Amino acid sequence: MNIKELEKLRNEGTDSVSSRERRTFLRAGLAITGLFLGGTVMSLTPVKKARAALGGMDLEKKYPYKPHYSMVIRQNHCVDCERCKEACVKTNHVPSYGYRTTIFERYKIIGPAETERIFMPVLCNHCNRPPCVRVCPTHATYKDKKTGIVMMDIKKCIGCKTCMAACPYDARYFNEEIRAIDKCNFCYDTRLSKGMKDTACVAACPAHVRVFGDISDPDSEVYKLVHQPDKVVWVLRPETGTLPNVFYMND
Amino acid sequence: MKLKNKTICMLGAAALAGLLFSVGGQAGSLQPGPETDNGYQEPLVFSHGPAGVMFSHKAHVEGAGLECDDCHPKIFKMENGSTEAKGDVNMASLDKGKYCGACHNGDVAFSTKNPEYCVTCHGSPMQKPKTIVFTEPVKAVLFDHKMHTEEMGFECSACHPKLFRMKVGDAESQPDKFVMKALYAGKYCGACHNGDNAFASDTKCTTCHIGVLGYDRLFSGKKGAKKKEEHSEH
Repeated sequence: MNIKELEKLRNEGTDSVSSRERRTFLRAGLAITGLFLGGTVMSLTPVKKARAALGGMDLEKKYPYKPHYSMVIRQNHCVDCERCKEACVKTNHVPSYGYRTTIFERYKIIGPAETERIFMPVLCNHCNRPPCVRVCPTHATYKDKKTGIVMMDIKKCIGCKTCMAACPYDARYFNEEIRAIDKCNFCYDTRLSKGMKDTACVAACPAHVRVFGDISDPDSEVYKLVHQPDKVVWVLRPETGTLPNVFYMND
Repeated sequence: MKLKNKTICMLGAAALAGLLFSVGGQAGSLQPGPETDNGYQEPLVFSHGPAGVMFSHKAHVEGAGLECDDCHPKIFKMENGSTEAKGDVNMASLDKGKYCGACHNGDVAFSTKNPEYCVTCHGSPMQKPKTIVFTEPVKAVLFDHKMHTEEMGFECSACHPKLFRMKVGDAESQPDKFVMKALYAGKYCGACHNGDNAFASDTKCTTCHIGVLGYDRLFSGKKGAKKKEEHSEH
């Protein structure tokens, strides 16, 4: 439509706009403004749609999947040998510019003139409330209904990278080779579906830092590690309300 | 216009001065090479054997007043590398009076058995102990020689050769043995790092384990690659 022609049109006024229409318009406007004011991309997606994307998962239940795959990171045992990274790259063909899992380094002051080096392995947290799934416009990323693994359907991915913006854990990268987003899927296609019981990173770790298993099974090691009354267990960025399935502890 | 000409002139003069200066600088930096007047070689470094060893001809001839035929050719043949080629130059043969041990027996010169003198031949200023970065069996573990010797006052013999043989890469050459379990059993670092003499080796992991991130920080870029080469040469 030509803008000069639009100028000639008579102003309809607000009388003809229904209250419902006006509210929708204002809500969209506020959401977009909020995004530019430092909000998250989450504000652009309604919660209702998010629930639908989760397949109506019961959020009240503690471990809604079977097997409910989970990973426990025994953080103080990590020495950043990066064998996990090497194994991941080899198994899942991860290019040099991206990662499915990596290790961060932090320094904690533990006394006067004394600091402690802390290595923190990170990967996709396979959240029970995954923001990436909520924002994906094509349902290319989804929560697997059986295992709870956050998976990618690369045929559906249009490479809009909205999920990368939504993920609070920076666990996604755009893979130039497949022209789609790639991420950790607990080695589902490369190992778990072939009958193996753990991921490549878990198998490669020499210090048993990463423990993998079905947290809905009380006999599993992950369940036992997480459910110790005398141990502090934490998740990353709990304030985002994502309900991660990757747990951290020192033991 | 005038101003522009002036500027060009000044620039030209500055460039000329710069050229002269650099030529002068080069002429000035021509310095005589290392002293070769005494006819001796640079101190010999035996680095192919089990341990890096330094031998200074100058110290023995000028310092101790020996004649060439005191050692050559009876004890050492006068051919470079011929002694090393024999393959039996080690502390055991020295202790029996062979090679350096012919004089270094405690009577003529300091004994090769005396731990105080290890450093005289091993790890003298020519082969200053470096900070070791182990990359086997896991990458990467830091050992600071300086901290252990200068700050804590350990002698070389505190660790060498009992816990670690005096050859860079020796412990790493057995990655299946140089593991935490061995340390817990009192081997290698575990001889002191047992919780009594020093922090136990099953605590404070990241004090020594600097990881791949720490390794990359130490040896980042071309400079790092060079350092790595230097390290593997010993």
